[in-house]
Formats: sequence, C-alpha cells, structure tokens
Amino acid sequence: MSTDTSIHPASAAAASWRTIDLMTATVIGVAFGVAYWGWSSAYTALDAAAPALGPAKGLLGGPWLIAGVVAGLVVRRPGAAVLAETLAAAVSGIMGTQWGSSVLLSGLLQGLGVELALAFFLYRSFRVWVAALGGALAAAFETLYEWDIYWQAMSTTWKLGYLGCFVVSGVLVAGVGGWAIARALAASGAIDALPAGREAAEDRAGREAADDRAE
Amino acid sequence: MSRVRCGPLSLLAASLLPIIGAVAVHEAREGALALLVEVLALGWLVRDLRATAVRLLFGMVAALGIAVSTWLYSGHDLAEAAGAACRILYLVLPGALLLGLIRPSELGDHLAQRLRLPARGVVASTAALQRLDALGEDWQTIQRARRARGLGMAGGPVRRVRESAGSAFALLVVSLRRTGSMAVAMDARGFATATDRTWAEAAPWRGSDTALLLIGFALALFPWLLD
Repeated sequence: MSTDTSIHPASAAAASWRTIDLMTATVIGVAFGVAYWGWSSAYTALDAAAPALGPAKGLLGGPWLIAGVVAGLVVRRPGAAVLAETLAAAVSGIMGTQWGSSVLLSGLLQGLGVELALAFFLYRSFRVWVAALGGALAAAFETLYEWDIYWQAMSTTWKLGYLGCFVVSGVLVAGVGGWAIARALAASGAIDALPAGREAAEDRAGREAADDRAE
Repeated sequence: MSRVRCGPLSLLAASLLPIIGAVAVHEAREGALALLVEVLALGWLVRDLRATAVRLLFGMVAALGIAVSTWLYSGHDLAEAAGAACRILYLVLPGALLLGLIRPSELGDHLAQRLRLPARGVVASTAALQRLDALGEDWQTIQRARRARGLGMAGGPVRRVRESAGSAFALLVVSLRRTGSMAVAMDARGFATATDRTWAEAAPWRGSDTALLLIGFALALFPWLLD
C-alpha cells in the first residue's frame, strides 16, 4: 500500500488553522466542558463529605486540565489548548458550577499553562513528557490564582502542599491521561485529518511497508 | 426583575471584574458590606429568580466548603473563616446573578463584531456550543448500545466509573467524526475563504452596557477602598 506522505509529513510544523482544526479544538472543549461540569458536581459532594482533606484536595484538580492537553496534542497549533480549555470552562460555567463565572479565568490560566509547555518545544514535540509538563504548568498557574482567592488564610506550608498535590494530579491525570486519550483518539481513526491522526496513520503505513519488505 | 436590556459583553465584564475585588476581601464585617453593595449593584438585572436561586445555592456550598477548610487549617479562627466565606461569595455572586442572562450565540456575535476576535474561531466555538443538546442524545444512544451488548451501568461504583469513562470516550469519538463532516460542509459554503463576512445579528452597545461596565469596575475597586 502506498501512501503519499512525503509532501507534507505530520512531523512538519503545522500550517495555519484549517476549519477542521478549529472545529476539533472547539468540539473537544465542549465535550470536556460537560465532563468538567460532572466532575464539579462530584467535587461539591466530596467537599461537603470530606472538608478535612486539606492540601490533598489539590489531588482532585487534575481532571479539570485535560481538555487543553488533549486539544494541544491533537490539533498541534498555537492557541488550541487555550481555546479548548477556556471553552470547556465556559460550558461547565453555563451548565452551572459552584464557582460562577470565575471558571472562565481558571480555564484561561490552565490553557495558558499547557500552551506554554507546547510553545517551549516550538509545537514540534508532542510526547508524553511534554504533555506532563503542560499538565504541571496548568496546575501551577491555577494554584497561584487560587492562593489569592481561596487559600488566603492558609499557612505557606499548606499552600505549598496544595501546589504539590495539584501539580502531581496535573502531571498524572491531565498530562499522562490526556496524552493517552489523544493517542487512543488517533488510533480510533476519528481524527485522521489532524496532525496526531496523520502521524498514527503514517506509523501504521510504515509498519505495513516494513511487513511487505519482510515478506 | 427589570426591563433593562444589557448586552452579553457588559454582562460578562461585570461578572468577571469583581474577581479583582474579591482578592481584597479579608474580614467578615467589610465583606458583608461589600456583598450588600454587590447584590444591590447587580441584583436589579436578574430575571429568572428560580434559576438564579439554584446558582446562588451552589455558590453558598462553595463558600461554606472554603470556610470550613479555613477554620480547620487556620487555628480554628472563626473570623478568618467568615472572611473567607465572604471572599468566595463576592467572587461567585456576580456569576450566579448574571451568567443566566448571557446567550452563547449572542455572545459570539458580540465577541466577533465588537471585540474583533478572530471571526472563524468565534463561529467555530458557537457552532460547537450548538452541539451541547446533541451530545445528550448521543450519550443516550451510546448507553443503549452498550446495554444491548451487556455492558450496562449496573454494578459497584468502580464498574460504574469505568463504564462512564468508556461511554465518554465513545462520545468523544462520535463527536469528532461528526466534526469532520461538519467542517467539510462549512468549507463547502465558503467558511474558510470568506473575506466579507456577514452576521445574522447586529451587536449594539447601549447606554445600559456602559453603565453596567462602570458598575463592574466599581465592584472591582470597592473592596480595595474598604481595605
């Protein structure tokens, strides 16, 4: 089987935004927004049931950072992470969470965290540790804002403990988890028109070609 | 209950600006005063009382949660806890009062025409928001299909979580497949190459918008002045 991938391989830096890129980033945002809303409801119940959780609460934050990581890894264009994460936050806010419209600011900050990690690698590397760094920065950005609003009265030790827990959750749930979701999406064939899907398809084609040669 | 009509941009600004003010709310007494001013400044815009009450209730839960945490971890200081509760309420109240008044499609029109945000990004976002209802239907279809295959939601909490995750991934795949054909349809109608884009609705900025924006700035400043 011959696939003509030499003209514009997926490993090349992405060109400008096509309609499919925009729509994919926004649909990822909306879909995760609904999930964020669900997680917010669960978090509210947890909050009421276990107020003594303390800084370990940060461990619950990771799921709210996934949309930016997934969109950044799938679309691979500057701004995809911010767009998806902000939109996801907006959707959860429209559906109604306990944080009112401040979720928009959180979404923007979290998206910027992921964006910074991808920009650091010039939008050319989308490996698992880049995703993990994105999750970590998203968690750190969000924590800095929360320190001033939610955790003003806490001790520095408490605040640092919260930061640590949130970053761990960001790395594992949003970073590694988001990377796994992006990979599974690429394998499903649903995003074959996008860089991440192209890359997966090229890999498959490459393996088939190698098999053919072996025969 | 009012007849005054504010546009989505001023509503959004007035619900976000008080975040700056919330940072300066430390004590219960100042906080209560600030909250009173905030309710008076924004409350007259509310139309749907029931939905607003529900959102307010959510906000109270958030404030209570933070207050309990603060009380537990700041040496059982009640004043600190009450101050923290006021701060969170000051933060979430504007959203509870105003978010219900913003229509997403209208916000899109205004973001693109007034703020000159990239038109394609705005349209794509509002188009994706239109899919919110369809998402619910797709979810039900996926649930039915999985149940028919013996992967139902019955069982313990662990099984339920795994089931939900599986369904959610299926939903994401279905949505992205649809997105592919939607993007082709949009491009077939010249979405990517349009130069003189027209909009369905105008995006007027009224006197009431200016007034609400000023109120938003005042709410951002007020707690700092009290401080």
